[in-house]
Amino acid sequence: MANPHPPAPLSRRAGRGGNEEPIDRGPIIAMRDISKRFGPALANDHISLDLWPGEVHAVLGENGAGKTTLMNVLAGMYQPDAGTIRIAGEEVQIASPADALRRGIGTVYQHFTLVPNLSIVENVVLGDEGGFLPDLSAADAKLTAMLADFGLDVSPRTEIRNLALGQRQRVEIIKVLLRGSRVLVLDEPTSVLTPGEVTALLDLLRHLRDQGVAVVLITHKLGEALAVSDRVTILRNGRNVGEFGPDVMTGAAKESVRDRIVEQMFGATQPTETRHHGAQQSIDVSPGVAIKHPGHSEPAGEESRHSRTDAAFSRDSSFLGMTTSLRRSPSRAESGTTLLSLRGISTLGDRGAPALQDLSLDLHRGEVFGIAGVDGNGQKELGEVIAGQRAVSSGQIFLDGAEITNRGLGTATRLGIGYVTDDRLHEGSVAASSVTDNVALKAIGRQPFSNGFWLNRRAMDEEARRLIVEFGVKTPGPETAIGMLSGGNIQKLLLARELALAPKLLVCNKPTTGLDLRTARFVVQTLREQADAGKVVVLISSELDELMEISDRIGVMYNGQLVAVMPRGETDLETLGNLMLGGARRAFKVPA
Amino acid sequence: MTRGALVPSRFAPVLTSLAAIVAAMILGGVFLAMRGKDPLAAYGMLFSRGLGTSYGITETLIRMAPLLIVSAGLLISLRAGVWNIGIDGQLMVGALFAGVVASAVAGQIANPLMWLAAALAGMGGGLLWALVPAILRVRWGLNEIITTLMMNYVALNVTSWLVKGPVKDPNVVPPQTRLIPQEMRLPDIAGSGVHIGLLVGLVVVLLVSVLFRNTVVGFMLDILGRNRQAAIHAGMPVNRLTLVALLASGALAGLAGANDILGVKGLFQGNWNPGYGFAAFALVYLARLHSLWIIPFAYFLSFLAIGGEMMARPLGIPTYFVEMLEGLMLLCFAVATYFERIRSPFGRAEEIETGPATAGEPPGPLVGDPVFEPVARSAGGRP
Repeated sequence: MANPHPPAPLSRRAGRGGNEEPIDRGPIIAMRDISKRFGPALANDHISLDLWPGEVHAVLGENGAGKTTLMNVLAGMYQPDAGTIRIAGEEVQIASPADALRRGIGTVYQHFTLVPNLSIVENVVLGDEGGFLPDLSAADAKLTAMLADFGLDVSPRTEIRNLALGQRQRVEIIKVLLRGSRVLVLDEPTSVLTPGEVTALLDLLRHLRDQGVAVVLITHKLGEALAVSDRVTILRNGRNVGEFGPDVMTGAAKESVRDRIVEQMFGATQPTETRHHGAQQSIDVSPGVAIKHPGHSEPAGEESRHSRTDAAFSRDSSFLGMTTSLRRSPSRAESGTTLLSLRGISTLGDRGAPALQDLSLDLHRGEVFGIAGVDGNGQKELGEVIAGQRAVSSGQIFLDGAEITNRGLGTATRLGIGYVTDDRLHEGSVAASSVTDNVALKAIGRQPFSNGFWLNRRAMDEEARRLIVEFGVKTPGPETAIGMLSGGNIQKLLLARELALAPKLLVCNKPTTGLDLRTARFVVQTLREQADAGKVVVLISSELDELMEISDRIGVMYNGQLVAVMPRGETDLETLGNLMLGGARRAFKVPA
Repeated sequence: MTRGALVPSRFAPVLTSLAAIVAAMILGGVFLAMRGKDPLAAYGMLFSRGLGTSYGITETLIRMAPLLIVSAGLLISLRAGVWNIGIDGQLMVGALFAGVVASAVAGQIANPLMWLAAALAGMGGGLLWALVPAILRVRWGLNEIITTLMMNYVALNVTSWLVKGPVKDPNVVPPQTRLIPQEMRLPDIAGSGVHIGLLVGLVVVLLVSVLFRNTVVGFMLDILGRNRQAAIHAGMPVNRLTLVALLASGALAGLAGANDILGVKGLFQGNWNPGYGFAAFALVYLARLHSLWIIPFAYFLSFLAIGGEMMARPLGIPTYFVEMLEGLMLLCFAVATYFERIRSPFGRAEEIETGPATAGEPPGPLVGDPVFEPVARSAGGRP
């Protein structure tokens, strides 16, 4: 395929405002017709993308749209099957992540790559080509200034494990910038941040942009993309389906841009046939029907199946706005009887420090109890204690009036307490095992999966097939290793697995993290339905909008305590945000 | 432009093993050539004598029995992510127990009962020897790689002391247990010259295959081996499973020891150590942790050992050559799996994230597992 853009001359780092050097306005990175296939799935299908110095470029798309694959190609993790990459006009092969870094492409991944028990400075020099014994004090001096610049009021000798996630992320950014990166790729950077940290990060990105860095923001969150981006590229099912340049993005009509982007991402508002890049396959953009590529076998073989995901999606088409479609009167929850009571619970966290202190809570049938909090304030531990995953050091737990304190996980599961972990890759699923085995994992010792000794493989397989169809999981089949599925599909399976056990009480820890809007929508709606059916749902989330939307009551965790429990109608985002921060938070310094 | 669909076939993992074997034999040939031997002649004799003579085939089949049993046991522990390096020690203790019990009851009860008693004694011995590392692992989190390895040396010396003193046959000079008369040993399969231990081995492998395919315990062991954290999360009895895995592999090692006593040797000698443990590691890895593939690979490795012995003397090649070949095979296998991985459609990056996507991939050693894991565990506050 002919290259539509001629090679651009080398562009130089240049300030935007202030003393300007002459800028060559060519893209610093030009990716052309990048294709990458994983087995039967075409993750990238002739994607072209230009990155410009001094711009924030948002790459939007659902889970599995190919965003991460494309960025991994740019970061040297994968070699594309086809297509070219030019850096400042020069065609290159990016052989490895180290090679990418040498060429000025720095990537900050969703899962941070810092060593927790090394200091900031040690992490920053780690992997540097500075010989066997790096000069830490020299690096110290450079870092101190940079840390202050980045609003990190800590010593370079602080160990990473003592930093909050937002701070760690900044260290990651500093690390790649110190290597001379002119292109900064951020993969879902806000998924781990509090609302305040998000604002600060976006400010930081603008600041970097003004210094001539090409910033790539891979995100699901449209609001952030609109707030900060100069350019937006939309990927869908491995193709580049739309791009909006600075003329549109910084123009006045932002709301119309929003609508157009949503349309491009989901195609829900305009189910027409689209042709793209001269490719001859037609794309069916009606909601919920997977786009078919040649040789891409359709899971379960039912083209017209209407999964619950699709149903959720089409029922609630105004999914991007914070609609009230799922809200219901909280009075029913108050009339519900108490299912589970915690009395004076204390427990230790993974590091042996107190995680919960003298916490008491009643959960009522038919309610969604939302738990908000900045990461590391005991929400995870509270969820684990409720679900029987974690033993308590003092206090009592009652289920329907009967004490079940520290009776172990088996008891909790038997009594109908389910738990969906936030660590779906390492704790929730066994990557190398099949979808079927993962579905059967938690109930393997019981009917119908076994009689306690002999497995019933047929029952396992049937259950897996049923859940795949009912929850609209995209997988080649039930025998596929679950690690090959996308995060959203794994999450659907984990949720499906718990719901199949028909729990009375379901604890979900950040069930929508990293999910695309459609799947997130589906998860949230499913949880609400569970509560409406008389179950108790405990929803731990960092998405305040999500909590506000479906919770009957919202509790805020701070320092291992429930500092407030409020009916949803009596609180708002600002109140929650304030409580989450405990009122003791200092203003964040944004680099001038 | 785009690669064809790389759908892994059922045989793809074993093809990697075969490639490793071929590569190892080529490398071995190079070594032979460097020593001035004709590799083609050597391999020609290896195959013609090992596969082409009835003596070679009989000996190979006899040799297969203990390998099958030991490998089946090792498979259980490796599939559960437990590294039992102590097969040799467990086998020696099992063999000693079997030798003592068999010679004590031989002639006093019916032979089949004597064999059963000796087999149970052998399994008990192996189990006992695995029990120490198992308890250390489960109770205090000590790394079983180190403890099982060290128990080998303890076994070597303890058995050698026992056979010099307490259980020595007082009627002979060398340190050994009382000889079981030829007519009381395991009979041959229908006059084939191969004793019925081979059938025991095949049955054991089939049982292990059924264990993993069809039982809850096998399912849980697999999950434990692939993701310990997920096993804990799902409420599986992780400690009990670890115990089961180590004890089962120890017991089977002991059974293999009993097999050799009852079928071949008739007595336990001091310092007897056939070194099946290492061969079993090579075997289980080449079989890609798949139970039924153990059978052909056990035949192959037995053939290699027997054929190697038969070819070594006439050609003046040291018998160690075959052991070197086994080592080369493991080495080539490691290299081959590396290429298999980077060729795989689910490149390197994701592997770090999700672990190998191939079912039946050998689990890595517990590198991240600190020797003093309980420090972390008690702090974790988990039930």
